[in-house]
Amino acid sequence: MPLKTLIPLLIATPGALFLALSFLWLLGGGVTERVMARITKVTYLFLLLLVIMIGWRMKAEGLHSVRVMLGDWFTVGHYGYPLPLLIDRLSLPLVGMTVVLAGIVGSFSIRYLHRDPGFYRFFLLLHLFTFGALLIFIAESLDLLIVGWETVAITSVLLVGFFQYRPEPVRNALWVFASYRVADLFLLLAIFLAHHWFDTTSWTGMLSGEWPSCQSQLHGTQGTIVAALLVIAAGGKSSQGPFCGWLPRAMEGPTPSSAVFYGAISIHAGAYLLLRIEPLIHQSWGSRSLVIIIGLATAFLGTLVHRTSADAKTSLAYAAQTQIGLIFAEIGFGWTTFALIHLVSHAMLRTLQFLRTPSMLRDYHRVHSAAGGKLSPTGSQYESLLPSSVQLWLYRLALGRGFYDAIVERWIVAPVQAVARWLAIFEPTAPAKKKL
Amino acid sequence: MSTRSHVSPCGCHQSTLETHPAEGCLQHLRRVVGHAARFLPVQGPLGVFVHYNTLRSFQHRSFEEAVLEGAALYKAEPYLSEEAYQSDRARGRILDEDIDAVLSREPNAEILPGRLSRRELRRAMLIPGVRRVNGINISWQLEEGGWLDSFRNDLPPSSATALRGDSPQALWHACLASVQPQPAPPPVMPKRPREFVLALHGIDMDALIHPPLIRLTAAYLDQGIAYWPMPHRDKGLLRAARTIMPQAFAIFPDHLSGVRAEFLRQEAAGMDAEAVVLDALEQLGVPLAQWEDFVTEELLALRGWAGMVHMLEQDAALAPHDRVRCSVMEFLALRLTYTVAALKDIAGGTSAWRSTPVPVPRFDPLTHVARVFDVVQLLGISSRELAALENGEVARLVQEILSSHEIERRRLLHLAYERRHERLVLIPLAKHRNMPCVVPSSNRLVAQVLFCIDEREESMRRALEEVDPAIETVGVAGFFGVAINYAGIDDAGGVSLCPVVIDPQHTVREVPVEEHAHLHRRRQDLRRVWGGVARNGFISSRTLVRGWFSTACLGFLSLFPLALRVLTPLAFGRFTKFLNKAFLPEPRTEFAFMQDDAASRDATSGLMRSFTTEEQAECVYQVLGPAGLDKGHARLVVILGHGSTSLNNPYESAYCCQACGGRTGAPNARLFALVANRPAVREALRARGVVIPEDTWFIAGCHDTCNEDIQFFDLDLLPETHCGDLVRVHQALDKARTLNAHERARRFEAAGHSISPESSLRHVQERAEHIGEPRPEYGHCTNAVAFVGRREVTKGLFMDRRAFLASYDATKDPSNEALAQVVRAALPVCYSINLDYYFSAVDNDVYGSGTKLPHNINGLLGVMNGYQGDLRTGLPAQAVEIHEPVRILFVVETTPARLMQVIRADDELNEIVCNQWIRLATMDPDDGHVEVYREGVFEKLAGNEEPLPVASSSQAWYEGKREHLALARIEPRAA
Repeated sequence: MPLKTLIPLLIATPGALFLALSFLWLLGGGVTERVMARITKVTYLFLLLLVIMIGWRMKAEGLHSVRVMLGDWFTVGHYGYPLPLLIDRLSLPLVGMTVVLAGIVGSFSIRYLHRDPGFYRFFLLLHLFTFGALLIFIAESLDLLIVGWETVAITSVLLVGFFQYRPEPVRNALWVFASYRVADLFLLLAIFLAHHWFDTTSWTGMLSGEWPSCQSQLHGTQGTIVAALLVIAAGGKSSQGPFCGWLPRAMEGPTPSSAVFYGAISIHAGAYLLLRIEPLIHQSWGSRSLVIIIGLATAFLGTLVHRTSADAKTSLAYAAQTQIGLIFAEIGFGWTTFALIHLVSHAMLRTLQFLRTPSMLRDYHRVHSAAGGKLSPTGSQYESLLPSSVQLWLYRLALGRGFYDAIVERWIVAPVQAVARWLAIFEPTAPAKKKL
Repeated sequence: MSTRSHVSPCGCHQSTLETHPAEGCLQHLRRVVGHAARFLPVQGPLGVFVHYNTLRSFQHRSFEEAVLEGAALYKAEPYLSEEAYQSDRARGRILDEDIDAVLSREPNAEILPGRLSRRELRRAMLIPGVRRVNGINISWQLEEGGWLDSFRNDLPPSSATALRGDSPQALWHACLASVQPQPAPPPVMPKRPREFVLALHGIDMDALIHPPLIRLTAAYLDQGIAYWPMPHRDKGLLRAARTIMPQAFAIFPDHLSGVRAEFLRQEAAGMDAEAVVLDALEQLGVPLAQWEDFVTEELLALRGWAGMVHMLEQDAALAPHDRVRCSVMEFLALRLTYTVAALKDIAGGTSAWRSTPVPVPRFDPLTHVARVFDVVQLLGISSRELAALENGEVARLVQEILSSHEIERRRLLHLAYERRHERLVLIPLAKHRNMPCVVPSSNRLVAQVLFCIDEREESMRRALEEVDPAIETVGVAGFFGVAINYAGIDDAGGVSLCPVVIDPQHTVREVPVEEHAHLHRRRQDLRRVWGGVARNGFISSRTLVRGWFSTACLGFLSLFPLALRVLTPLAFGRFTKFLNKAFLPEPRTEFAFMQDDAASRDATSGLMRSFTTEEQAECVYQVLGPAGLDKGHARLVVILGHGSTSLNNPYESAYCCQACGGRTGAPNARLFALVANRPAVREALRARGVVIPEDTWFIAGCHDTCNEDIQFFDLDLLPETHCGDLVRVHQALDKARTLNAHERARRFEAAGHSISPESSLRHVQERAEHIGEPRPEYGHCTNAVAFVGRREVTKGLFMDRRAFLASYDATKDPSNEALAQVVRAALPVCYSINLDYYFSAVDNDVYGSGTKLPHNINGLLGVMNGYQGDLRTGLPAQAVEIHEPVRILFVVETTPARLMQVIRADDELNEIVCNQWIRLATMDPDDGHVEVYREGVFEKLAGNEEPLPVASSSQAWYEGKREHLALARIEPRAA
């Protein structure tokens, strides 16, 4: 099969599977757990096979990148919504990682979610997620990327609120949803401005050459603004910078979804976007320092909070956030190849660690007895170099999770709610609020 | 003088000391907090899971009262739902005669003279049962649901006849005319500030104050997950929080800014926890008489954490790694500080909340009418008849209908449900007892195998006896009479291996034999290296600087364990075992339990290092005596302890031996065998009437109930003459474990129906190695019965892994001494397991810990849902999903008089039995008739309706079935 067929097939498979299964579900039908297990395993094996074939063909043909144009979705006047796909040396490792990790987590979930009432729902969302993640990595333009971006976001939110009969998961899913929406505004704005100023959002239009040695085509302040907006949008996906508070809340879902989203793939999508537009970032010191500052600040806060978290999943979430902060900084410094290696390697490690969180008791006990009952005390590394009052202050900062929730609730959510309440005066039949 | 002369002596409180005028406020507070803490969950750190009666604090009340009180206090369900029982009735699990029998024990009364009695009314309300109706959905049911178009279609024939010619509309109007509408419920005063704030301001105060409370408590109690331990932990929770929280520039969440000033004020005034609580109670305006209710409610709002603090306060040694000073008072002080600050901020004052009634929940006056309308149809009372009733009669009828409310009906249905279970067990058991033994007794047994009484070993014992009829099995409590503090060669410290109610007096260490000391050293060195690497890997993959290197460079390596563990768990498990074997030397070991060195002789403190010969003989006697094993032992006696290993399972310990305090019983078995083989011990035993033949050898082993591994210890000590016997036993056990795995696999949906015994063994082994398996085994999920008596009675009886089996021979126990021993060891363990499962099954959200899927281990102490919540106690949904919640049916082969003599002698047993936390029955050792304990008296079991089916093998009986099965007689010759 030619590469021009393989690449669309790669995306279409999980998408079609999701459509077929959800259509069946809407009709009131469904498949048994056993059949779903088989479908899932076969699908991921098939996807893996496709990825291997693509990689092998590219190597055999000496191609560093393959572009596939699927035509326009629609055209209005001189604007067309094209559907271009791209596989190159940046997207291939990420596509491979997605297929392998989602496949492993899918296989894990067959056992883990056995007999759970949400079994079918979970796998529907997993297939939809795979589709979205592959689309992010293969899309050749921001216009197409945002489709995958939103798909991943909505599956992520629905899986955080997987246990929909309890209030906390739903509340936290809403929080994650709101964070994503705000971050997505920046992405949308970037797309509009790119169209407005440069008439393009495709990688070929914005960058010239092949990754990793491509050059930016968007120059001047306008290019910097687009880059900065994309950096903030990427921060939203990767829980960085101004959006660094939602990650622990996403731990409400079942363990495998925490692993595949927040250990492995979804959380790294922001870093992927930055890797892709790295030349854009690189052309001005403003956007470069923005990435570096966001990355390092989040890494510092993340490691601080991680150090004081007493539960397995929150601790891992902040550890992941720390490393992604470093990956952001690496991209800011221009070490793109290293950042890519760091990203893939980190994703694999975190997936394993997330899947193993329930065995924390056993693992700790084994290490403890192997060490003869004496584990070297922790917490006396860099902290102890500081004066004790500063230590205490840092501990307080970490215990308050960087005061992130408090700040957002008091100075963002509360004013918005106040405005909303004030706007209610225009609503003639607004239910009378209970007054003090 | 007014009546307010009893002003509180400490002056800290305005209200009078109504309850204990002689007592100071402080003493009163301590008493109140101590009392309130008793209602907190009694689950300690999860590394060791011990089953308790979930409502232990209500044990002095009868079961039926206690479940209601518990339900009111914890907002829980007392029984299964009415729908669940009704569907059990539909499938024949509850019979009409059970309901009749239960009703005949309830007090009866005339309601409509000559026409209707209470018993008839209740029977109609249970068979076919009432429709779920209330005032809110009644109008929908009337207009859309067709309730006015026709009467119920499941009416008893007599009622249907009586209602012929009447119309639903007429009946509805008659009901409306004669039944008083439901009065509005009286306004309720808030018990906690939260209810007031929620009703008036729409703010959930718990959602405000729990996150910081949870974070503080979790950080304080943490046993090693957090890399940076909380500073100032030595000062206690309250002072640590007061030091950390009010730091400069710290931003508090909305409504909690007042906490900072409050903490500073407390610190400046040097207030301790008690002073803080007293101060908060005063500010909140809680009168002395209501302290207890208030404190209880406040503590229960975050009961998992409060319970953990309470458990660690009572026994600091429960903490698995770091001992921290815990105090419920401090926890309460912290909680009340936050509460007062939040209340001040939201409501502006702290005392108004008590005087503002909370709006009553929505109700509809038609509720009563709707219920009566439904029931009079069942009774066949027509509209004319209803209208003709006198006012007093109508009132009585309505009163009776309303007092047979849902909870009451569920109670009756539950009793019927238990009654059928009782008859399903006792009648076939008595029949089997009176039939000849399926296996004729041979000359001398090849082996005797001592198992734990655990109900999971029932199938194993049956399989073993089916495989080799010349092997006899015996059931004794799994710590085999040796209560020890034990440390294996790989363990860091000693742990108690005995039921939690016993404090071990002796310590036993596993040490390498002298010639293998160098292997031991190498093993420990290698393990230390591995431990260091693992520890470093754990930490360095998460921190900033080290994490940078390790995640970037070494992260790829984790793909291999990840993929292999998930995709081929069994092979990967074997691979790691192979690696361990190849690189980790295994020294031969022995037990240091009778070393005669100076250190153990001169030790004046701590646990005793050595057992004297008399003590050793006593241990052995305590096991062999009650089981009736006083002579004629087989050539080989196998002592089989049990444990359970599984991966990625925080509840692993719940599947281990409860008689060993939630740990494996292998060391106890090993010690027992070592002791019983000593000639000096046998000599001492002979003096007490237990004669062990010269050629009898005891050998210890361990059975893993999860992966079905069987391991033997001290094989090198086995005399050559016994090798043949061991080979035979080993082969039999090997076949038996395969059959056992097959019988277990019938419950696992993932295993499929057509699985062969060999693949089912692989299946259960894979379950133990799979990191994504939430049900490595079903644990005690099927427990329902305990039988104390001779094995002959239950031999060849299929009991579906539902019965604890303790061996006891009443014919050899004229003094009742052995009975006391067995009952005292077995009953508390069985009853605790059973009730833990009962409550976790009837309300998994409140008494249990909910589904395992979002569980998140916190502080190495317990699990919570998601990222910030209460610690969950009890059993997870996956562990109880096939459980039938019935109180355990304890059947003892003795006479009622002898049994009650033993039970009356022990306060706790007496309480358990008299308050009916278990169901009790006796089986006469001579003629086998069964008597059942009911409300203080034993009644002979009558009736014969349950058959005793006969099958040629266990497999033939359970093949293709997944549900609970009835008892069956397994008779190989029947085929």
